[in-house]
Amino acid sequence: MRSRSLLAVVGVLSLLLTTIVVGNVSLQAQFDPESTYIVGVEATFPPWAWVEKGAFKGIAVDAIREIAKSEGINLKYQELPWPSLIPSLAAGKIDLVVTAVSVTQERAKVLDYTIPWWEINRVVLVRKDSNLNGITALCCGVTVGGQGGSTDFEWVKQELAPNPGLDIRLREFEDPVMAVEDLKIGRVDSVVIDSDTGDKLAAEHPDIRVAARFYAYPPEPYAIPVTKGDPQGLLPKLNHGIMELYTSGKWAEIVHKYIPGAIILPIPAYMPEYVGSYQHPIPGLEE
Amino acid sequence: MYKVILEELPYLLQGVLVALELLLAFISLGFLVGAVLAVMRVYGNRLLVLLAILIERFFRGVPAVVLLFLFFYGLSGVPPFVAAVLGLGLRSAAYQSQIFKGAIQAIESGQMTAARALGMGKLKAIRCIIIPQALRLAIGPWSNEFASELKDTSLAYTIGVIELLRRAKYIVSYTYGNNTLLVYGVCALMYLVLVRTGNVILYRLERRLAIPGFERREEGG
Repeated sequence: MRSRSLLAVVGVLSLLLTTIVVGNVSLQAQFDPESTYIVGVEATFPPWAWVEKGAFKGIAVDAIREIAKSEGINLKYQELPWPSLIPSLAAGKIDLVVTAVSVTQERAKVLDYTIPWWEINRVVLVRKDSNLNGITALCCGVTVGGQGGSTDFEWVKQELAPNPGLDIRLREFEDPVMAVEDLKIGRVDSVVIDSDTGDKLAAEHPDIRVAARFYAYPPEPYAIPVTKGDPQGLLPKLNHGIMELYTSGKWAEIVHKYIPGAIILPIPAYMPEYVGSYQHPIPGLEE
Repeated sequence: MYKVILEELPYLLQGVLVALELLLAFISLGFLVGAVLAVMRVYGNRLLVLLAILIERFFRGVPAVVLLFLFFYGLSGVPPFVAAVLGLGLRSAAYQSQIFKGAIQAIESGQMTAARALGMGKLKAIRCIIIPQALRLAIGPWSNEFASELKDTSLAYTIGVIELLRRAKYIVSYTYGNNTLLVYGVCALMYLVLVRTGNVILYRLERRLAIPGFERREEGG
Protein backbone atom coordinates (compact mmCIF):
# COMPACT_ATOMS: atom_id res chain seq x y z
CA MET A 1 0.00 0.00 0.00
CA ARG A 2 2.71 2.39 0.90
CA SER A 3 3.95 4.02 -2.18
CA ARG A 4 4.33 7.68 -1.72
CA SER A 5 5.68 9.78 -4.49
CA LEU A 6 6.57 12.49 -1.98
CA LEU A 7 8.78 9.99 -0.22
CA ALA A 8 10.57 9.13 -3.38
CA VAL A 9 11.32 12.83 -3.82
CA VAL A 10 12.55 13.09 -0.22
CA GLY A 11 14.63 9.99 -0.80
CA VAL A 12 16.28 11.36 -3.89
CA LEU A 13 16.89 14.74 -2.24
CA SER A 14 18.46 13.17 0.82
CA LEU A 15 20.64 11.04 -1.36
CA LEU A 16 21.77 14.12 -3.27
CA LEU A 17 22.38 15.95 -0.01
CA THR A 18 24.46 13.11 1.36
CA THR A 19 26.42 12.98 -1.84
CA ILE A 20 27.14 16.69 -1.53
CA VAL A 21 27.96 16.66 2.18
CA VAL A 22 30.13 13.59 2.58
CA GLY A 23 30.63 12.24 -0.90
CA ASN A 24 28.91 8.96 -1.57
CA VAL A 25 31.64 6.37 -1.68
CA SER A 26 30.28 3.12 -3.00
CA LEU A 27 32.13 0.21 -1.48
CA GLN A 28 31.85 -2.93 -3.53
CA ALA A 29 32.14 -5.11 -0.43
CA GLN A 30 31.11 -8.75 -0.49
CA PHE A 31 28.91 -10.30 2.16
CA ASP A 32 30.86 -10.79 5.36
CA PRO A 33 29.55 -13.26 7.97
CA GLU A 34 31.53 -11.39 10.63
CA SER A 35 30.02 -7.93 10.09
CA THR A 36 26.74 -6.71 11.47
CA TYR A 37 24.14 -5.36 9.09
CA ILE A 38 21.62 -2.72 10.08
CA VAL A 39 17.94 -3.42 9.57
CA GLY A 40 15.66 -0.39 9.38
CA VAL A 41 12.31 -1.07 11.03
CA GLU A 42 9.20 1.06 11.21
CA ALA A 43 7.29 -0.30 14.16
CA THR A 44 3.91 1.26 13.47
CA PHE A 45 2.63 -1.15 10.86
CA PRO A 46 0.92 -4.27 12.14
CA PRO A 47 0.65 -7.06 11.10
CA TRP A 48 4.04 -6.61 9.35
CA ALA A 49 6.11 -4.83 11.99
CA TRP A 50 5.30 -3.32 15.36
CA VAL A 51 6.51 -3.07 18.96
CA GLU A 52 4.56 -4.45 21.87
CA LYS A 53 5.89 -4.07 25.42
CA GLY A 54 9.30 -3.31 24.00
CA ALA A 55 9.56 -6.36 21.71
CA PHE A 56 9.48 -6.41 17.92
CA LYS A 57 6.65 -8.42 16.41
CA GLY A 58 5.13 -9.05 13.01
CA ILE A 59 5.41 -11.08 9.83
CA ALA A 60 8.38 -9.20 8.40
CA VAL A 61 10.28 -9.22 11.72
CA ASP A 62 9.74 -12.94 12.39
CA ALA A 63 10.66 -13.76 8.80
CA ILE A 64 13.94 -11.80 8.84
CA ARG A 65 14.89 -13.43 12.14
CA GLU A 66 14.47 -16.89 10.59
CA ILE A 67 16.37 -15.87 7.47
CA ALA A 68 19.22 -14.36 9.51
CA LYS A 69 19.47 -17.59 11.47
CA SER A 70 19.47 -19.91 8.46
CA GLU A 71 21.85 -17.76 6.38
CA GLY A 72 24.19 -16.69 9.20
CA ILE A 73 23.63 -12.94 8.90
CA ASN A 74 24.30 -10.76 11.95
CA LEU A 75 21.61 -8.11 12.21
CA LYS A 76 21.11 -5.01 14.33
CA TYR A 77 17.82 -3.13 14.40
CA GLN A 78 17.44 0.59 13.87
CA GLU A 79 13.95 1.98 14.35
CA LEU A 80 13.05 4.86 12.04
CA PRO A 81 9.77 6.51 11.07
CA TRP A 82 8.47 5.59 7.62
CA PRO A 83 9.41 8.88 5.88
CA SER A 84 13.06 8.43 6.98
CA LEU A 85 13.43 4.76 6.06
CA ILE A 86 13.90 4.94 2.30
CA PRO A 87 16.17 8.03 2.47
CA SER A 88 18.30 6.27 5.13
CA LEU A 89 18.59 3.22 2.93
CA ALA A 90 19.45 5.30 -0.11
CA ALA A 91 22.08 7.11 1.98
CA GLY A 92 23.53 3.84 3.28
CA LYS A 93 22.69 4.58 6.94
CA ILE A 94 20.90 1.21 7.03
CA ASP A 95 21.40 -1.89 4.88
CA LEU A 96 17.88 -3.25 4.45
CA VAL A 97 14.31 -2.37 5.42
CA VAL A 98 12.02 -4.81 7.15
CA THR A 99 8.33 -3.90 7.11
CA ALA A 100 5.64 -3.92 4.41
CA VAL A 101 7.33 -2.17 1.49
CA SER A 102 5.70 -2.12 -1.94
CA VAL A 103 7.82 -2.49 -5.04
CA THR A 104 7.29 0.63 -7.14
CA GLN A 105 8.92 2.03 -10.24
CA GLU A 106 10.06 5.22 -8.51
CA ARG A 107 11.70 3.41 -5.63
CA ALA A 108 13.36 0.93 -7.96
CA LYS A 109 15.43 3.89 -9.21
CA VAL A 110 17.09 4.36 -5.80
CA LEU A 111 16.77 0.84 -4.32
CA ASP A 112 17.06 -2.82 -5.17
CA TYR A 113 14.72 -5.51 -3.89
CA THR A 114 14.77 -9.14 -2.84
CA ILE A 115 12.34 -11.47 -4.58
CA PRO A 116 8.78 -10.45 -3.61
CA TRP A 117 7.06 -12.45 -0.87
CA TRP A 118 3.57 -10.96 -0.79
CA GLU A 119 1.01 -9.21 -2.94
CA ILE A 120 -1.46 -6.74 -1.66
CA ASN A 121 -5.08 -6.03 -2.60
CA ARG A 122 -7.42 -3.30 -1.49
CA VAL A 123 -10.62 -3.21 0.50
CA VAL A 124 -13.42 -0.66 0.88
CA LEU A 125 -14.49 -0.05 4.48
CA VAL A 126 -17.88 1.40 5.44
CA ARG A 127 -19.80 1.85 8.71
CA LYS A 128 -21.64 -1.25 9.76
CA ASP A 129 -24.95 0.65 9.99
CA SER A 130 -24.70 2.17 6.49
CA ASN A 131 -26.40 0.43 3.56
CA LEU A 132 -23.61 1.20 1.09
CA ASN A 133 -22.37 -1.74 -0.95
CA GLY A 134 -19.15 -2.20 -2.93
CA ILE A 135 -20.52 -0.11 -5.83
CA THR A 136 -22.46 2.61 -4.00
CA ALA A 137 -19.55 3.13 -1.55
CA LEU A 138 -17.56 4.55 -4.48
CA CYS A 139 -20.11 6.65 -6.32
CA CYS A 140 -23.13 8.86 -6.19
CA GLY A 141 -22.02 11.76 -4.01
CA VAL A 142 -20.11 9.89 -1.28
CA THR A 143 -16.90 11.11 0.34
CA VAL A 144 -14.06 8.57 0.10
CA GLY A 145 -11.15 8.62 2.55
CA GLY A 146 -7.72 7.00 2.40
CA GLN A 147 -4.06 7.30 3.30
CA GLY A 148 -2.48 10.15 1.37
CA GLY A 149 0.06 8.91 -1.16
CA SER A 150 -0.71 5.22 -0.67
CA THR A 151 -1.04 3.17 -3.85
CA ASP A 152 -4.63 2.40 -2.83
CA PHE A 153 -5.62 6.03 -2.53
CA GLU A 154 -3.70 6.89 -5.70
CA TRP A 155 -5.89 4.35 -7.45
CA VAL A 156 -9.05 6.11 -6.22
CA LYS A 157 -7.59 9.47 -7.19
CA GLN A 158 -6.49 8.52 -10.69
CA GLU A 159 -8.93 5.84 -11.79
CA LEU A 160 -12.19 6.82 -10.09
CA ALA A 161 -12.25 10.49 -9.05
CA PRO A 162 -11.74 12.03 -12.53
CA ASN A 163 -14.86 10.23 -13.79
CA PRO A 164 -17.68 12.80 -13.47
CA GLY A 165 -20.30 10.06 -13.67
CA LEU A 166 -19.08 8.61 -10.37
CA ASP A 167 -19.38 11.92 -8.48
CA ILE A 168 -17.11 11.23 -5.48
CA ARG A 169 -15.27 13.59 -3.18
CA LEU A 170 -11.91 12.67 -1.61
CA ARG A 171 -10.36 13.17 1.78
CA GLU A 172 -6.74 12.27 2.58
CA PHE A 173 -5.42 11.14 5.95
CA GLU A 174 -1.93 10.69 7.31
CA ASP A 175 -2.53 7.15 8.47
CA PRO A 176 -5.23 4.46 8.23
CA VAL A 177 -6.24 4.76 11.88
CA MET A 178 -7.15 8.43 11.42
CA ALA A 179 -9.18 7.63 8.30
CA VAL A 180 -11.16 5.01 10.21
CA GLU A 181 -11.79 7.42 13.11
CA ASP A 182 -13.39 9.83 10.66
CA LEU A 183 -15.33 7.03 9.00
CA LYS A 184 -16.81 6.09 12.37
CA ILE A 185 -18.07 9.60 13.09
CA GLY A 186 -19.38 10.10 9.54
CA ARG A 187 -16.92 12.64 8.10
CA VAL A 188 -16.25 10.19 5.29
CA ASP A 189 -18.60 7.51 3.92
CA SER A 190 -16.02 4.93 2.89
CA VAL A 191 -12.28 4.28 3.21
CA VAL A 192 -10.11 2.56 0.59
CA ILE A 193 -7.07 0.86 2.10
CA ASP A 194 -4.77 -2.16 1.62
CA SER A 195 -6.36 -5.46 2.53
CA ASP A 196 -4.01 -6.46 5.39
CA THR A 197 -4.63 -3.24 7.28
CA GLY A 198 -8.28 -2.97 6.24
CA ASP A 199 -9.22 -6.48 7.38
CA LYS A 200 -7.49 -5.92 10.70
CA LEU A 201 -9.19 -2.55 11.22
CA ALA A 202 -12.58 -4.09 10.46
CA ALA A 203 -11.87 -6.85 12.99
CA GLU A 204 -10.77 -4.37 15.68
CA HIS A 205 -13.58 -1.85 15.24
CA PRO A 206 -17.00 -3.48 15.71
CA ASP A 207 -18.82 -0.58 14.03
CA ILE A 208 -17.14 -0.86 10.61
CA ARG A 209 -17.19 -3.59 7.97
CA VAL A 210 -15.56 -4.52 4.65
CA ALA A 211 -17.91 -3.66 1.76
CA ALA A 212 -15.74 -4.77 -1.16
CA ARG A 213 -12.38 -6.20 -2.13
CA PHE A 214 -10.46 -5.16 -5.24
CA TYR A 215 -7.55 -6.93 -6.90
CA ALA A 216 -4.68 -4.68 -7.86
CA TYR A 217 -3.52 -4.90 -11.47
CA PRO A 218 -0.67 -5.06 -12.21
CA PRO A 219 -0.16 -6.95 -8.93
CA GLU A 220 1.47 -4.95 -6.14
CA PRO A 221 4.21 -6.99 -4.48
CA TYR A 222 6.00 -6.51 -1.14
CA ALA A 223 9.71 -7.24 -0.91
CA ILE A 224 12.75 -6.38 1.23
CA PRO A 225 14.58 -3.33 -0.15
CA VAL A 226 18.37 -3.07 -0.01
CA THR A 227 20.74 -0.29 -1.07
CA LYS A 228 20.92 0.22 -4.85
CA GLY A 229 23.49 -2.06 -6.45
CA ASP A 230 23.57 -4.22 -3.29
CA PRO A 231 26.98 -2.97 -2.11
CA GLN A 232 26.91 -5.32 0.92
CA GLY A 233 26.27 -8.43 -1.15
CA LEU A 234 23.11 -9.19 0.84
CA LEU A 235 20.72 -10.06 -2.00
CA PRO A 236 21.96 -13.62 -2.72
CA LYS A 237 21.75 -14.46 1.00
CA LEU A 238 18.33 -12.88 1.50
CA ASN A 239 16.81 -14.39 -1.66
CA HIS A 240 18.13 -17.82 -0.72
CA GLY A 241 16.80 -17.39 2.80
CA ILE A 242 13.35 -16.34 1.60
CA MET A 243 13.10 -19.41 -0.67
CA GLU A 244 14.23 -21.66 2.20
CA LEU A 245 11.65 -20.13 4.49
CA TYR A 246 8.93 -20.63 1.90
CA THR A 247 9.75 -24.20 0.88
CA SER A 248 10.21 -25.35 4.48
CA GLY A 249 6.68 -24.19 5.32
CA LYS A 250 7.88 -21.78 8.00
CA TRP A 251 6.71 -18.79 5.97
CA ALA A 252 3.12 -20.07 6.02
CA GLU A 253 3.42 -20.63 9.78
CA ILE A 254 4.58 -17.06 10.37
CA VAL A 255 1.92 -15.52 8.13
CA HIS A 256 -0.87 -17.57 9.69
CA LYS A 257 0.29 -16.61 13.17
CA TYR A 258 -0.53 -12.98 12.34
CA ILE A 259 -3.22 -13.32 9.63
CA PRO A 260 -5.08 -16.56 10.33
CA GLY A 261 -6.46 -18.14 7.19
CA ALA A 262 -4.47 -15.94 4.79
CA ILE A 263 -3.85 -17.41 1.32
CA ILE A 264 -0.13 -18.02 0.90
CA LEU A 265 1.05 -16.90 -2.53
CA PRO A 266 3.82 -18.75 -4.35
CA ILE A 267 7.24 -17.12 -3.85
CA PRO A 268 8.62 -15.38 -5.82
CA ALA A 269 5.43 -13.38 -6.26
CA TYR A 270 4.91 -11.02 -9.23
CA MET A 271 8.23 -9.49 -10.28
CA PRO A 272 7.91 -6.18 -12.18
CA GLU A 273 10.51 -5.96 -14.94
CA TYR A 274 11.64 -2.42 -14.04
CA VAL A 275 13.46 -3.69 -10.92
CA GLY A 276 17.18 -4.09 -11.61
CA SER A 277 17.65 -7.04 -9.26
CA TYR A 278 14.82 -8.99 -10.98
CA GLN A 279 16.86 -9.34 -14.20
CA HIS A 280 18.12 -12.87 -14.74
CA PRO A 281 20.11 -14.43 -13.22
CA ILE A 282 18.43 -13.54 -9.95
CA PRO A 283 21.06 -13.43 -7.18
CA GLY A 284 20.86 -16.41 -4.83
CA LEU A 285 18.41 -18.37 -6.98
CA GLU A 286 19.92 -18.84 -10.42
CA GLU A 287 23.68 -19.16 -10.35
CA MET B 1 -8.39 -0.13 27.39
CA TYR B 2 -6.63 0.93 30.60
CA LYS B 3 -4.92 -2.44 30.68
CA VAL B 4 -2.82 -1.49 27.66
CA ILE B 5 -1.51 1.62 29.44
CA LEU B 6 -0.63 -0.38 32.54
CA GLU B 7 1.11 -3.08 30.51
CA GLU B 8 3.00 -0.54 28.44
CA LEU B 9 3.92 1.75 31.34
CA PRO B 10 7.46 0.38 31.77
CA TYR B 11 8.05 0.82 28.04
CA LEU B 12 6.75 4.40 28.17
CA LEU B 13 8.83 5.20 31.26
CA GLN B 14 11.93 3.97 29.45
CA GLY B 15 10.95 6.50 26.82
CA VAL B 16 10.94 9.21 29.49
CA LEU B 17 14.45 8.10 30.41
CA VAL B 18 15.60 8.32 26.79
CA ALA B 19 14.10 11.82 26.55
CA LEU B 20 15.87 12.91 29.74
CA GLU B 21 19.21 11.46 28.64
CA LEU B 22 18.89 13.25 25.35
CA LEU B 23 17.90 16.51 27.07
CA LEU B 24 20.79 16.32 29.55
CA ALA B 25 23.31 15.63 26.79
CA PHE B 26 22.23 18.30 24.34
CA ILE B 27 21.34 21.04 26.83
CA SER B 28 24.82 20.65 28.39
CA LEU B 29 26.38 20.97 24.97
CA GLY B 30 24.16 23.99 24.38
CA PHE B 31 25.19 25.48 27.73
CA LEU B 32 28.92 25.25 27.02
CA VAL B 33 28.77 26.42 23.42
CA GLY B 34 26.14 29.04 24.29
CA ALA B 35 28.30 30.52 27.06
CA VAL B 36 31.30 30.73 24.71
CA LEU B 37 29.17 32.38 22.00
CA ALA B 38 27.80 34.91 24.48
CA VAL B 39 31.29 35.88 25.67
CA MET B 40 32.40 36.19 22.04
CA ARG B 41 29.43 38.47 21.35
CA VAL B 42 30.04 40.79 24.29
CA TYR B 43 33.81 40.86 24.63
CA GLY B 44 35.16 39.55 21.33
CA ASN B 45 36.86 41.53 18.59
CA ARG B 46 34.98 42.24 15.38
CA LEU B 47 35.82 38.88 13.82
CA LEU B 48 34.67 36.87 16.86
CA VAL B 49 31.47 38.91 17.10
CA LEU B 50 30.74 38.28 13.43
CA LEU B 51 31.44 34.55 13.80
CA ALA B 52 29.19 34.30 16.86
CA ILE B 53 26.40 36.16 15.06
CA LEU B 54 26.64 33.89 12.02
CA ILE B 55 26.52 30.69 14.08
CA GLU B 56 23.66 31.97 16.18
CA ARG B 57 21.62 33.22 13.18
CA PHE B 58 22.03 29.90 11.38
CA PHE B 59 21.01 27.68 14.27
CA ARG B 60 18.13 29.93 15.29
CA GLY B 61 16.89 30.30 11.73
CA VAL B 62 16.73 26.68 10.64
CA PRO B 63 13.88 24.42 11.87
CA ALA B 64 14.93 21.82 14.41
CA VAL B 65 13.80 18.91 12.24
CA VAL B 66 15.89 20.18 9.32
CA LEU B 67 18.94 20.39 11.62
CA LEU B 68 18.29 16.82 12.75
CA PHE B 69 18.16 15.63 9.13
CA LEU B 70 21.32 17.55 8.22
CA PHE B 71 23.32 16.01 11.07
CA PHE B 72 21.84 12.52 10.63
CA TYR B 73 22.21 12.18 6.86
CA GLY B 74 25.21 14.47 6.58
CA LEU B 75 27.54 12.71 9.00
CA SER B 76 28.07 9.13 7.95
CA GLY B 77 28.44 6.54 10.70
CA VAL B 78 26.90 8.79 13.34
CA PRO B 79 24.15 7.05 15.35
CA PRO B 80 20.76 8.81 15.70
CA PHE B 81 21.30 9.76 19.36
CA VAL B 82 24.57 11.56 18.64
CA ALA B 83 23.09 13.32 15.61
CA ALA B 84 20.20 14.45 17.79
CA VAL B 85 22.56 15.76 20.50
CA LEU B 86 24.50 17.75 17.91
CA GLY B 87 21.49 19.13 16.05
CA LEU B 88 19.39 20.06 19.05
CA GLY B 89 22.45 21.00 21.15
CA LEU B 90 23.80 23.55 18.69
CA ARG B 91 20.34 25.01 18.21
CA SER B 92 19.99 25.27 21.98
CA ALA B 93 23.45 26.92 22.10
CA ALA B 94 22.17 29.66 19.81
CA TYR B 95 19.19 30.33 22.09
CA GLN B 96 21.19 30.01 25.29
CA SER B 97 23.79 32.43 23.96
CA GLN B 98 21.04 35.06 23.71
CA ILE B 99 20.08 34.45 27.32
CA PHE B 100 23.68 34.63 28.53
CA LYS B 101 24.41 37.69 26.41
CA GLY B 102 21.54 39.55 28.07
CA ALA B 103 22.66 38.41 31.51
CA ILE B 104 26.28 39.46 30.93
CA GLN B 105 25.18 42.87 29.68
CA ALA B 106 23.04 43.27 32.79
CA ILE B 107 26.16 43.13 34.97
CA GLU B 108 27.32 46.66 35.63
CA SER B 109 30.35 47.61 33.54
CA GLY B 110 32.04 48.91 36.71
CA GLN B 111 32.53 45.30 37.80
CA MET B 112 34.88 44.71 34.90
CA THR B 113 36.73 47.95 35.52
CA ALA B 114 37.14 47.08 39.19
CA ALA B 115 38.39 43.57 38.41
CA ARG B 116 40.91 44.93 35.93
CA ALA B 117 41.99 47.56 38.51
CA LEU B 118 42.77 44.69 40.91
CA GLY B 119 45.15 43.31 38.29
CA MET B 120 43.00 40.55 36.83
CA GLY B 121 43.37 39.72 33.13
CA LYS B 122 40.30 40.18 30.95
CA LEU B 123 39.63 36.44 30.59
CA LYS B 124 40.05 35.86 34.29
CA ALA B 125 37.70 38.74 35.10
CA ILE B 126 35.10 37.27 32.74
CA ARG B 127 35.51 33.82 34.24
CA CYS B 128 35.67 34.75 37.95
CA ILE B 129 33.65 37.97 38.23
CA ILE B 130 31.22 38.41 35.35
CA ILE B 131 30.09 34.83 34.52
CA PRO B 132 29.16 33.74 38.07
CA GLN B 133 26.97 36.81 38.52
CA ALA B 134 25.49 36.57 35.03
CA LEU B 135 24.58 32.89 35.46
CA ARG B 136 22.57 33.78 38.52
CA LEU B 137 20.56 36.29 36.52
CA ALA B 138 20.18 33.83 33.67
CA ILE B 139 18.34 31.15 35.68
CA GLY B 140 14.90 32.71 35.13
CA PRO B 141 15.00 32.92 31.34
CA TRP B 142 16.97 29.68 31.21
CA SER B 143 14.11 27.78 32.87
CA ASN B 144 12.04 28.77 29.86
CA GLU B 145 14.66 27.34 27.51
CA PHE B 146 14.76 24.18 29.61
CA ALA B 147 10.99 23.68 29.31
CA SER B 148 10.89 24.25 25.58
CA GLU B 149 13.89 21.98 24.91
CA LEU B 150 12.41 19.21 27.05
CA LYS B 151 9.34 19.24 24.84
CA ASP B 152 11.48 19.38 21.69
CA THR B 153 13.16 16.07 22.55
CA SER B 154 10.07 14.54 20.93
CA LEU B 155 11.35 15.73 17.52
CA ALA B 156 14.26 13.29 17.65
CA TYR B 157 11.94 10.45 16.65
CA THR B 158 12.27 11.70 13.05
CA ILE B 159 15.81 10.31 12.92
CA GLY B 160 15.14 7.21 14.99
CA VAL B 161 15.58 8.14 18.65
CA ILE B 162 12.79 6.13 20.25
CA GLU B 163 11.70 8.48 23.03
CA LEU B 164 8.41 8.92 24.85
CA LEU B 165 6.19 10.26 22.06
CA ARG B 166 7.42 7.71 19.53
CA ARG B 167 6.63 4.90 21.96
CA ALA B 168 3.14 6.33 22.44
CA LYS B 169 2.65 6.29 18.67
CA TYR B 170 3.74 2.63 18.56
CA ILE B 171 1.04 1.74 21.09
CA VAL B 172 -1.62 3.68 19.17
CA SER B 173 -0.61 1.86 15.98
CA TYR B 174 -0.77 -1.70 17.20
CA THR B 175 -4.00 -1.18 19.12
CA TYR B 176 -5.56 0.21 15.91
CA GLY B 177 -6.66 3.53 17.37
CA ASN B 178 -8.85 2.07 20.09
CA ASN B 179 -7.27 4.23 22.80
CA THR B 180 -5.60 7.10 20.94
CA LEU B 181 -6.67 9.86 23.32
CA LEU B 182 -5.82 7.88 26.42
CA VAL B 183 -2.28 7.10 25.25
CA TYR B 184 -1.50 10.65 24.13
CA GLY B 185 -3.18 12.00 27.28
CA VAL B 186 -0.87 9.94 29.49
CA CYS B 187 2.02 11.14 27.37
CA ALA B 188 0.98 14.80 27.85
CA LEU B 189 0.75 14.24 31.59
CA MET B 190 4.27 12.81 31.69
CA TYR B 191 5.72 15.83 29.85
CA LEU B 192 3.78 18.17 32.12
CA VAL B 193 5.14 16.53 35.28
CA LEU B 194 8.71 16.64 33.92
CA VAL B 195 8.50 20.32 32.93
CA ARG B 196 6.95 21.38 36.24
CA THR B 197 9.47 19.39 38.29
CA GLY B 198 12.37 20.92 36.38
CA ASN B 199 11.00 24.42 36.74
CA VAL B 200 10.32 24.08 40.46
CA ILE B 201 13.93 22.98 40.99
CA LEU B 202 15.23 25.89 38.92
CA TYR B 203 13.08 28.46 40.80
CA ARG B 204 14.35 27.11 44.13
CA LEU B 205 17.91 27.41 42.87
CA GLU B 206 17.23 30.96 41.75
CA ARG B 207 15.83 31.93 45.16
CA ARG B 208 18.73 30.33 46.97
CA LEU B 209 21.30 32.15 44.88
CA ALA B 210 19.61 35.54 45.07
CA ILE B 211 21.39 38.14 47.19
CA PRO B 212 19.16 38.79 50.21
CA GLY B 213 17.82 42.32 50.31
CA PHE B 214 18.84 43.07 46.71
CA GLU B 215 17.06 40.56 44.53
CA ARG B 216 13.71 39.09 45.49
CA ARG B 217 11.46 37.06 43.31
CA GLU B 218 7.81 36.56 43.95
CA GLU B 219 6.73 32.97 44.51
CA GLY B 220 5.20 31.21 41.54
CA GLY B 221 5.88 31.54 37.82
